[in-house]
Amino acid sequence: MVQRLVGARVRRAEDPRLLTGAGRFMSDVTLPGMLHAAFVRSTVAHALIVGIDVEPAIAAPGVVAVFTGADLRARQAMPMNVSGAPGFRPVDVDLLAVEKVRFVGDPIAIVLATSRALAEDAAEAVTVDLDPLPAVTSATDAIAPGAPAIFDGVEDNVIFEEHLRYGDADAAFDAADRVVRASMRQHRVAHVPMECRGGVATFDARRGELTYHAAHQAPHMMRMAIAGICGLPANRVRIVCGDIGGSFGQKGALGREDVVLALVSIALARPCKWVEDRMENLQAAGQAREESLELEAAVTNDGRILGLRGRLLLDQGAYPGFGVPSSMFVMLVRLLLPGPYSIAHYDFDATAAVTNKASYLAYRGPWEMETFSRERLLDLIADDLGISTLDVRRANLLTAGDQPTALVTGPDLEGVTARETFERAIEAGGYDEFRARQADALVNGRYLGIGFSTYLEPAPGPPNWGDYIGFKAPPERAHVRVEPDGTVTVATSQNPHGQGHETTLAQLVADELGVPFERVRVVFGDTSVTPFSTFGTGGSRAATVASGAVIGASGLVRDQICAVAAQMLEANVDDIVIEDGMVGVRGVPARNMPLAQLAMMSYMAPDAVVPAGQAPGFEATFDYVSGRGGWVNATHCAQVEVDIATGLVTILRFLVVEDCGEIINPGIVAGQIRGGVAQGIGEVLLEHSAYDDDGNNLASTFMDYLIPTSMDIPDIEIVHLESPPVDAVNFRGVGEGGAVGAPAALVNAIADALRPVGARITESYLPPSRVLELAGVLNTKVDPSQGVPR
Amino acid sequence: MTRQPVTELTIDLSVNGTAHEVIADVRTTLADMLRESLALTGTHTGCEHGVCGSCTVLVDGQPVRSCLVLGVQVGGRTVETIEGLANDGVMNALQQGFYERQSFQCGFCTPGFLMTVTALLADNRRPSRDEIREAISGNLCRCTGYQSIVDGVLRAVEMLDEQGRP
Repeated sequence: MVQRLVGARVRRAEDPRLLTGAGRFMSDVTLPGMLHAAFVRSTVAHALIVGIDVEPAIAAPGVVAVFTGADLRARQAMPMNVSGAPGFRPVDVDLLAVEKVRFVGDPIAIVLATSRALAEDAAEAVTVDLDPLPAVTSATDAIAPGAPAIFDGVEDNVIFEEHLRYGDADAAFDAADRVVRASMRQHRVAHVPMECRGGVATFDARRGELTYHAAHQAPHMMRMAIAGICGLPANRVRIVCGDIGGSFGQKGALGREDVVLALVSIALARPCKWVEDRMENLQAAGQAREESLELEAAVTNDGRILGLRGRLLLDQGAYPGFGVPSSMFVMLVRLLLPGPYSIAHYDFDATAAVTNKASYLAYRGPWEMETFSRERLLDLIADDLGISTLDVRRANLLTAGDQPTALVTGPDLEGVTARETFERAIEAGGYDEFRARQADALVNGRYLGIGFSTYLEPAPGPPNWGDYIGFKAPPERAHVRVEPDGTVTVATSQNPHGQGHETTLAQLVADELGVPFERVRVVFGDTSVTPFSTFGTGGSRAATVASGAVIGASGLVRDQICAVAAQMLEANVDDIVIEDGMVGVRGVPARNMPLAQLAMMSYMAPDAVVPAGQAPGFEATFDYVSGRGGWVNATHCAQVEVDIATGLVTILRFLVVEDCGEIINPGIVAGQIRGGVAQGIGEVLLEHSAYDDDGNNLASTFMDYLIPTSMDIPDIEIVHLESPPVDAVNFRGVGEGGAVGAPAALVNAIADALRPVGARITESYLPPSRVLELAGVLNTKVDPSQGVPR
Repeated sequence: MTRQPVTELTIDLSVNGTAHEVIADVRTTLADMLRESLALTGTHTGCEHGVCGSCTVLVDGQPVRSCLVLGVQVGGRTVETIEGLANDGVMNALQQGFYERQSFQCGFCTPGFLMTVTALLADNRRPSRDEIREAISGNLCRCTGYQSIVDGVLRAVEMLDEQGRP
């Protein structure tokens, strides 16, 4: 019996090229006659553009062309406005700023020259005359009466708001023993893929065809948008992605720069390349996670939550993210805030405000504010009631016996094992032993703490998920073909950028078709050969939907092979077996023949071997609709020591107990979880996209924006639980969960450590200076919403 | 008479064992020179200000950030890049260790880690977990949380032992 590949730690198909320097990233693309782009960007957060003098740049060495926003407006077939999200107020977005700049980094002009260095030299020669306006640098300031308006038509700077009532929260609050309140604040961070954005656009004027060598999560969405804005038919626009150096949501949005590059390439009929530098990336590529959430919980004295009220204020920055506007993040926070807990009565009010900062884009688990806030609140409830956080959590966590049920916000809940992950985390984390050690340490003036977070991740979400997020995901399509030589080509609309889909999807297909892993090739990234998808890769969907699609398509191909084999081998179709690339009849090994031989016959001599009614060759397309369940859940447990002399936090242990169903490749799953946790740890201890009162970005180099190094991240322990399946496809996504759970667990652990010194923590950014303030060691005036002294 | 500034220099260097003569713009970094003049695009630039380590190459055996070195500074020197590690298409022990332990995800920072660890193992053939963590602390990876990279180095060390390599 051939061993199944699914579940095995199969080495990645991607790695031989990536480990030898043979990857092909966007910046590696070089085309004949290629020009290099540099953008002129605003150095002021909010200002009127009085004039732009491009003449010195045009005269500079090597410069071929300079375009301003006015030049491009005339070349656009339609504006790049975000529309369609119900209640989201549309604003006019110029590809390059024309009348006004709205954040530091706002693109104003593009210079094309014969080298990147010459383009950058010339960009510095462009003079932009700006008349500064007051900068709006926080959501609170943005919605205050009299605040300067950032966009025409949104005079109050409120781009989206919603007010939802579920059950009867007022009655729940009337019935409560006590109300616990907290103002949760989360700071702004950046995605920081190691490869910045960019691409090479090339326009073949004779064929009228635009090709964009891009780095993007959703090439088909990018193709539709670029075709529309540039006024080209979709069948003359091709997006080609090769290897992508990380994204985490940043490259899921269409960049204004992407469209500019396409337009100037059309205008010049020459290849134009743009490779963003790190300063541009940290200033202008998009940021995430800046919200405040006022929470009130109606609780009983034994810790049961009767009702919950939340008031969210989100700082979306200046321009709406193209593809996923900020209203989506608001909705996700609202839908998921009750989490894996029995909460029957819930009020939610939210405002998304525009400010003079970079765009708020989806970042690995863009609803994470709900987990941070709820999980912190649970510990505060325990503190206020004087009971254990374990008791509060156990009093409210859903159990297997509660299911199937639904979130109070509507989405179905089934197959959720949050309670099981929590209990296992207590046990594996050595909770009782830790508490004893913590008490001993405190006697010696050492501050230890333990923190938990338990959460739900829609990956891909339950069948009725689409009813609540405003759109239903179309089926996921895959195409599988056995080539005439017996090798297999799988076309997916997923667009991996580190997730290892070339490996996991090949494992699934190899198992389904009975062919060696090495003979399966997964193709992706080129819109001319991949199936259409609005999503591409994102939202932790691939493990379920891409798996379901390739399994479905492989099954159809397998049926075709078996039908041909049954005819050729004169056997019953049910007796045909395919193993290790050989097709045969069960129990009659002498009659085995190579799949390649069958495939060649099926393509070349279909009349002889293919049954009537079946097409020549072996290929099939399958559209997969995800089934019941659809949730991943996990509990994180952080154990820390806080040095209150230095403010440094040492992570003693970090444990993740997760249930993502059946695992395709354990190494890849562990890598996704650990990478997400590392980002969550960085978010709490190191990272901050800080702005000053004038809207200057204070963290636009790696000297100021700190991402974790190998010295900051501990070894992360993972315990895998696998619940009984509620659906035929029991693989679920783990792309985002690590980053969702880690900040809450870590902040809870730090808060636990600092409880003896009276700290009550309701914020997410805890660098040493802030830890010292919270511990009462330092006494400086800090506004936690900004995180910087003011 | 005013002297014209020199904008180009011709330099000789060895890259991955092959001698090259390169006409280099004097302000071109080693990273850009490798990528553009020699088409060795395995060396990646992640920050271009000397922090992330993605562009690490070896110059005379020592790891350097090729975004902070000018191409003209390596005249007469020996440069090793990611492309020089495999032997006739066969990955070396370090690459194999990373392959077996699925050390990386997106692969962008990977060449820098390989070159940094190549230098580490030349100095310290059997590093501890902590020594590995310290040695790679100047290379940033956003995907992995580093644990799998440490595991990959340890696997490479084992494989070198299995091969009886000094």
